[in-house]
Amino acid sequence: MFSEGYVEADGFRIRYLEAGQGPALVHLHGAGGPRLTRAHELLSQRFRVIAFEMPGFGQSPENSRTRSLPELASTMAHAARTLGLETFNLMGTSSGGKAALWLALQAPERVLALVLEAPAAIRQEGAQSPTGSPEEMARRLYAHPERLPALPALDPAIRAKQQSLVGRLRGPNRDAELESRLPQLVTPTLVLFGTLDQVIAPEMGRVYKELIPGCHLVFVYDAGHAIGTDRPEAFAEVTSDFLERHEAFVISRAETVIHP
Amino acid sequence: MKVSFFETLRYRSPQALPAEWPVPSGAYDRDAGAEAYRSMIERLQFVEELGFDWVSVSEHHYSPRILTPSPILSAAFIAAHVKRISIALLGPIVPHSNPVRLAEELAMLDTMAQGRLIVGLLRGTTNEAMTYDLNPAESRERTDEGMELILRAWTEPQPFGWQGRHFQYRTISIWPRPLQRPHPPTYALGVSREACEFAARHRLGCGVSYGSFEIMARATKYYREQCARHGWQPAPEQIVYRANMLVAETDEEAHEQLGKQSKQAPFAMRAGVRDAMTALDRRNLAGEARGPNVNGVLPTTFIGSPDTVVEQVRRCRDEVGAGVLDLSLHPPGSSDVDALMCALELFGKKVLPRIRDI
Repeated sequence: MFSEGYVEADGFRIRYLEAGQGPALVHLHGAGGPRLTRAHELLSQRFRVIAFEMPGFGQSPENSRTRSLPELASTMAHAARTLGLETFNLMGTSSGGKAALWLALQAPERVLALVLEAPAAIRQEGAQSPTGSPEEMARRLYAHPERLPALPALDPAIRAKQQSLVGRLRGPNRDAELESRLPQLVTPTLVLFGTLDQVIAPEMGRVYKELIPGCHLVFVYDAGHAIGTDRPEAFAEVTSDFLERHEAFVISRAETVIHP
Repeated sequence: MKVSFFETLRYRSPQALPAEWPVPSGAYDRDAGAEAYRSMIERLQFVEELGFDWVSVSEHHYSPRILTPSPILSAAFIAAHVKRISIALLGPIVPHSNPVRLAEELAMLDTMAQGRLIVGLLRGTTNEAMTYDLNPAESRERTDEGMELILRAWTEPQPFGWQGRHFQYRTISIWPRPLQRPHPPTYALGVSREACEFAARHRLGCGVSYGSFEIMARATKYYREQCARHGWQPAPEQIVYRANMLVAETDEEAHEQLGKQSKQAPFAMRAGVRDAMTALDRRNLAGEARGPNVNGVLPTTFIGSPDTVVEQVRRCRDEVGAGVLDLSLHPPGSSDVDALMCALELFGKKVLPRIRDI
């Protein structure tokens, strides 16, 4: 079970949800705000999962101070330190993936490994953020929305507050400053894309692989943009394996003996 | 209309064979097998000379009826002995294969055949699930996932991992890649909703087989509707129709020959296995449930004199929308090679030139 906590950091009061024991895994959510999935639960069986609500999202007050994702990343690094996390694993979802990349570039000695779930740091030409009614949002985010409970309608006040912040943080589809720094990223990095992602083209995955020296790219079959919701077991298995073994996760440990 | 010759090999057994599937390996005659492969090459050189566009091979196991358990090996052998004709794999059975291995071998084959490869990806007939102990209830899902992975392996330029339901790989980076860009012309074979939707989503062709024009037209109509939903329309040659054709000098002669053909499946599964298999093997026609064809005889859709057959081909083009016919000109499994050669010659000289413009 996730429990709620608050941490004062960089002038913000930041809410987080925490569960599990073991190595720390910090999660930065996407532009839609924090949402716990079955994947968080599965990961909390092996990690101490800390899912932050970044300032200006969800229940937090409006954030008119943060101007850019590097700034937000720096705030979140402060928050982790205040929680006593000198080093930690870092997972970022969609635009949270871009914040996570900035955090790893700013504090490489603190991030043990990086997992990017459908990251929005490198977007195809014409990429559009998912907007509209809960049904429209679900069709963009999930591979099979009909198999999931309906998304709750987002409080209009929260939506307005988040939209103005996301608009400031979004940046260009191809961020030359970030991309010029990615070849220096030393953190072991796993990039995941769902084969049915309708927000960020899964083909963007190859650009991370080209730019980041220690990058691994994995496609999650039959998942949309919200991989952790669509295929939680598949997502949690590869994420855990990568966080535990880094690049050695390419060596299979699957046992095939049928009868000894 | 393009025309493909469905090569099944013609194994002439020197003895009567047990009539059940699987057929015991001990009943196989090695010399007869060697002769079947040797004469295949002669036949396909003739097929090429007659002007066929493709020769097709498919995957079947444990019987002499269609003696190509590895269609990729057959295709490689054929490619080395013919010059211009395209080689169509219709197709390798995806659900009981390693999709990465398939992607590699198909890419190799396309490269060795200098870009003359055509690929159909197939779920397989019901009995084939028994071949490598595939759970029939999983075959649909494994097919869909395997097809998706093959396309990804052909097109992804960076090493990648695959976190699937039925397949998992941490590292995939195939060499060689297919010679044709982005990959060989590819068809999802089958009349199911899943095959049609997969083909439409990936802008692939659709391959249907052995049903009446009316039934096959329901599948191709559904396929075209799905293509429209994805914002495109297939070219005629993106619809392949595999069928039996029996052409003779006259209609009467053709029907007389059909009357002499066996009405029994040559190698049937035992009833208990067939029934259990059928219960697990869910199939549909464009979303409408239908039973699998198990132990049945495949219909002969085109039959008659050259004039009659030409008209039937015209109707097939209009009703099914097929731009490629993949034909057996003599029942697969029949060892009457002379009759097959006569049918081939008659078709090549009196039908083929007249259906080119259909």
